[in-house]
Amino acid sequence: MSTRRPYIFLLKITLFAFILSALPFNSEILDSSPFWMLLLYIYWLVNFQDKGGLFIALILGILLDILQGDILGQNALALIIASFFIINVKQSFYVSNLSTQQVYVFLASGIYLVFFFLTHALIHGWNGNYYLLLAPITSTLIWPVVQFFLVKCKHQ
Amino acid sequence: MQFLKIFTPITIAIFLIIFDYKFSYLNNLRQGISTIISPVYMVASLPEKLYIWINEQGRSKEKLLNDKQALTNELLKLQVKLQRTDALILENKKLNALLESSYALEQASFIIARIESVSRSRLKKQIVINKGSNNNLKIGQVVLGANGVLGQITQTTPTSASVLIVSDPTQYIPIKSVRNGIQGISQGLAENKHQLVVQFIEPESDIKINDIFVSNALGSKFPNGYPVGRVIQAEQRKNEPFMHVILEPMQKIYDLEFVIILDSL
Repeated sequence: MSTRRPYIFLLKITLFAFILSALPFNSEILDSSPFWMLLLYIYWLVNFQDKGGLFIALILGILLDILQGDILGQNALALIIASFFIINVKQSFYVSNLSTQQVYVFLASGIYLVFFFLTHALIHGWNGNYYLLLAPITSTLIWPVVQFFLVKCKHQ
Repeated sequence: MQFLKIFTPITIAIFLIIFDYKFSYLNNLRQGISTIISPVYMVASLPEKLYIWINEQGRSKEKLLNDKQALTNELLKLQVKLQRTDALILENKKLNALLESSYALEQASFIIARIESVSRSRLKKQIVINKGSNNNLKIGQVVLGANGVLGQITQTTPTSASVLIVSDPTQYIPIKSVRNGIQGISQGLAENKHQLVVQFIEPESDIKINDIFVSNALGSKFPNGYPVGRVIQAEQRKNEPFMHVILEPMQKIYDLEFVIILDSL
């Protein structure tokens, strides 16, 4: 559970998450696509240190807000609260099998979606975009793939 | 202790949300960071650029000649139309001079850009174009398609810009009816419908299906007279102070490849 350069690894996966988040898709695919930043950050949180993890979540969220042109702090707030949940179940997450991990990922994605959407609804009003509800499901389904690739990257 | 650990970052995030929504102090910070992370956009759009490049390389000579012929024909038609417009502008100038009016038709200059992606945010309806602050694009400039107003630039990086399209619920445009000049404010509808609702239309106003609404220079944010939408629904609902009017945007974002960015007003 240790690496000599956890922050270099974080930098790499952040860049990767940004590229995935900025890929040009039509609105339906984009709305239902996984929360890439959250997934990759969950992996980092679980496998590396969690000291200052919430502040790192704040910075990554702000960068994502700027990248996607959202309200500054919208992704940040959602990512902080989802990360807080993951930090609290970190030990259990680390020793769990893949399906239990997927349950945790689904809950974290659900929390992310609720706060992300709540911020938007409080500021701009209700925006009934039902494709968004698919995002926690796609995040959960893609988790084994994400984990597989990140394990490979980590050992390189 | 756990509570304190989460309290500070959450407070900062909420503070940022309020400040970003209510004030514009953070725009410079946003612009600066956006410039730093702009290479991400370039990397993300590489596969599409590669696809376009391969497509362009693979076109046969015959297809290119046919395209050229079609474009030459189109150009001729447009030149004929332009002659009529020039005549009308001249006539308008003469009439203005006779009336001693200060109103004048503006000859706008513009920049052409290619659409890179249709949306980047989950809850905003926006497109990304391949020109940015290096091409002197600024926040607030109006973007047009071939058929009408497409939206307004909301964020720029050196090589790209985000355009909030007219059907986004946070986009408001002053508009007026071509047929009788009735004025209102258009706002994008939530959901993925790509429609607009017109606000503040007086009850029992003369609005008919298929009426065209164009942009209004009221507020000096949008140029005058560019098509915004066509009426697809107009009714007076009970207990509502204004008419319920729904427009379909004149400019669809699907199948659109190039856009025109007007100079700042």
